[in-house]
Amino acid sequence: MTSSTQADKPNSNTASGGGLALGKLPVALGLTAALLLLSFVPRVQENATLAASFYGTVAVLLIWQAYQLFLVNRIGSSYGFHVLLRPQHYVQAMVQSSVYLYWGFFWRPVYEHAWLILAQIIFAYAFDMLLSWARRRDYTLGFGPVPIILSVNLFLWFRDDWFYMQFLMIALGFLGKEYVRWNREGRNVHIFNPSAFALGLFSLVLILTNTTHLTWGQEIASTLTLAPNIYTFLFLAGLVVMYFFSITLVAGMAAITLLGFSALYSASTGVPYFLDSEIPAAVFLGLHLLITDPSTSPRTPLGKVFFGVLYGLGVFGLYTLLGALGTPTFYDKLLCVPLLNLSVIAIDKTVRSIDSEAITNVWRNSWFGGRGNVAHMAIWILFFGAMSLFGKMDGQHTGDSLPFWEQACADGLPNACERLVQLERTYCNDNAAWACNELGAHYREAQIVAADEDLALAFFARACELKFQAGCVNLLEQDSIARAEPRELDLRLLLREGGQNLMEAPLPELYERACNHNWSFACQRSGNQT
Amino acid sequence: MTKQSAPTPGGSEQALNKTPGRTLGFSIMVVMIVFVAWWLQYQASLDQSDQNSNTRLTENLDGFRADVFFLPDAPMLGFVEIPAGTFTMGSNPALDRMAYQNERWSNLERQGEVSLPAFYIAQFETTAAQFNAFVRDTGVGTAATAGSPGGAYPITNVTWPEALAYGRWLQTQLLDSEQTPQALRTILENGGRVILPSEAEWEKAARSTDGRVFPWGARPQTAFANFNSEATLPVGSRSCVDCAYGLSDMAGNVWELTRSPLQDYPYDPAEETTLADGDPLYVMRGGSYSDSANNVRTAVRGAVDPGVRSDTIGFRLVITPQ
Repeated sequence: MTSSTQADKPNSNTASGGGLALGKLPVALGLTAALLLLSFVPRVQENATLAASFYGTVAVLLIWQAYQLFLVNRIGSSYGFHVLLRPQHYVQAMVQSSVYLYWGFFWRPVYEHAWLILAQIIFAYAFDMLLSWARRRDYTLGFGPVPIILSVNLFLWFRDDWFYMQFLMIALGFLGKEYVRWNREGRNVHIFNPSAFALGLFSLVLILTNTTHLTWGQEIASTLTLAPNIYTFLFLAGLVVMYFFSITLVAGMAAITLLGFSALYSASTGVPYFLDSEIPAAVFLGLHLLITDPSTSPRTPLGKVFFGVLYGLGVFGLYTLLGALGTPTFYDKLLCVPLLNLSVIAIDKTVRSIDSEAITNVWRNSWFGGRGNVAHMAIWILFFGAMSLFGKMDGQHTGDSLPFWEQACADGLPNACERLVQLERTYCNDNAAWACNELGAHYREAQIVAADEDLALAFFARACELKFQAGCVNLLEQDSIARAEPRELDLRLLLREGGQNLMEAPLPELYERACNHNWSFACQRSGNQT
Repeated sequence: MTKQSAPTPGGSEQALNKTPGRTLGFSIMVVMIVFVAWWLQYQASLDQSDQNSNTRLTENLDGFRADVFFLPDAPMLGFVEIPAGTFTMGSNPALDRMAYQNERWSNLERQGEVSLPAFYIAQFETTAAQFNAFVRDTGVGTAATAGSPGGAYPITNVTWPEALAYGRWLQTQLLDSEQTPQALRTILENGGRVILPSEAEWEKAARSTDGRVFPWGARPQTAFANFNSEATLPVGSRSCVDCAYGLSDMAGNVWELTRSPLQDYPYDPAEETTLADGDPLYVMRGGSYSDSANNVRTAVRGAVDPGVRSDTIGFRLVITPQ
């Protein structure tokens, strides 16, 4: 929920005209100057490409302003802005900010990114303003660009060497909002949620060009759970948005669909669908903050239900599809949103064509004394509470346990071996030497993956450099495989359950946790420790 | 709010006065997306080629053959045969007053006798040019070459697994290359393995069978080795005609990694592949340019984490029989 519609008649608190020949161009100039000033903060100056991205962006804005000034002088018209503060913008921005604050407290790159978010907000205002004026229209000044930027950055940001792409992504979002429009119920409105449009298109390009590594996407998706009880936090934050903007049906149904299909898959195969959660935290975030723009979602209650269900199905399907294609699965929550935006008219039409009193009346607000949304929220709260009670949200998940996946792989359960390898790769990247050695062993023994001695040696080398002697022995002896139990340091990484590493955990607690994960050697040691 | 004056007649004025259409905006978006896709693809391919060409190759290096991976221009590409037989390992404090406790063979014996089959050891420490050829081909070990002076200087800042990886790579290259001398090829085809030396192999090569304290004899000689100095020198810079088997820099210049984990004497080759408790340390030998005489003796045993990089640590290779 990140934008207003251009066709809305502004109900401005303040109207400010362009009485001077320059109109309000100095405002855009001021924003550009602010962006230039930001380029001198140490966070930007520490990377030459990042600083150059700022300078280039400033130059483009200046050229555009010069052209606007030329037009003002040439044709004698200038444009100003209306001030219009919409609650859906600033409430949304506040909720998003709270997520950044909480998440960033446990993953500091978020706080380090704050300067760059501020720069994007300034750029967004300047760009949106100039775009409005280029379209010969007053600019509606409010908080509109803020939730768009915050929403984009909750899911994807480019690394410093590629940060100019971030500015392009923002620009694309606003261009899409301005130019990709349709008539919906007699109003000219944008088709796509601006942030989801930019995220979706850039995600597609990144996948097609195999350049995902140029972004922080993977880290963003996997570090949300470093914040303890993140699901509960997102749930509570989501309630605020649900209460004010009646998006409960969309978000709730998306979550229920995902949980339902995930449970079905688990019941039929014996393994969890998502690797280490019932709903990935980033997806849970997305269904609260990415798909709930009222301008780009269905208007009817039943339409909202369909919309949420379709999002859930889309994420569910894309997770498997992307995994099968060997691309990062974190794009699952982003790619389907633009397609869903395209389907809203069809959804609304379908719902309205349903000629059934029974179905349409189910959602009649009068049944709840005109407070249908509160009733939906109550159901959602009960549902989330029940899920939390059964440990389906925060807390240990079956898929967190490596011995579980080892056993599932040995038993031949669907996708279990692929998940085992995927999980071990994650932990190897975390510097868990045991996981690196296991990966090397898989590629040497060729039982669950195709033989690849070069890859095996690379993983053994990594294990060895991390002082895991079995890895070193495997480098010397290429005809056999040495294995060993995880060391204490490995356990501190392997048992984190998506959260922070357990560097400070006392040894007895560590072994007890390992025992709960079915590491049999740890159960013995846990007994010895206590 | 809008302030407008009457438009001036005229083609260009009319064009300027016209609100830019959706088609233009849409076209800009399409161009932008196509550009982004092309640019990402292009930059990614550039990154890959940069990574591959990040290392310098010295075209002409006196005494080394650019056509054979910058190995020495010698009959066996610089690999020197160490005959099979027994040698004395460890230190006898009665003969070597600088001996450390970990050089003692056992509680009962000061030194031990170790028998080894014949093997071949590189005359020189592995050079930066040699290692660069490997990095260029594989992309492994770029961290080692980043700050290296290059050329005939010994490669340093190499981890233990990277040194082993270089040995594996060189073995494959020598088997594939038409420039490999037939004698060397035969050894490799019969199962010879290019690898780090064991510490016994290293020590035998350094002190020969006459139990020298230094590779050239009983007393330290700065003319024969680079120690007590400020920096590494190109391999073979200090001529040492008296050194065992004609090897260079077995004392000083850089510490040389071995494939042996640090273990208490008596030396047991089986312990190379036996898992022990605790973090592994691997033995390095020979001391470096920054060490004093006591650390460049043939029996000195240093040890290092397998993941450590240091500008005082390099390596040389051996070819062991199967």
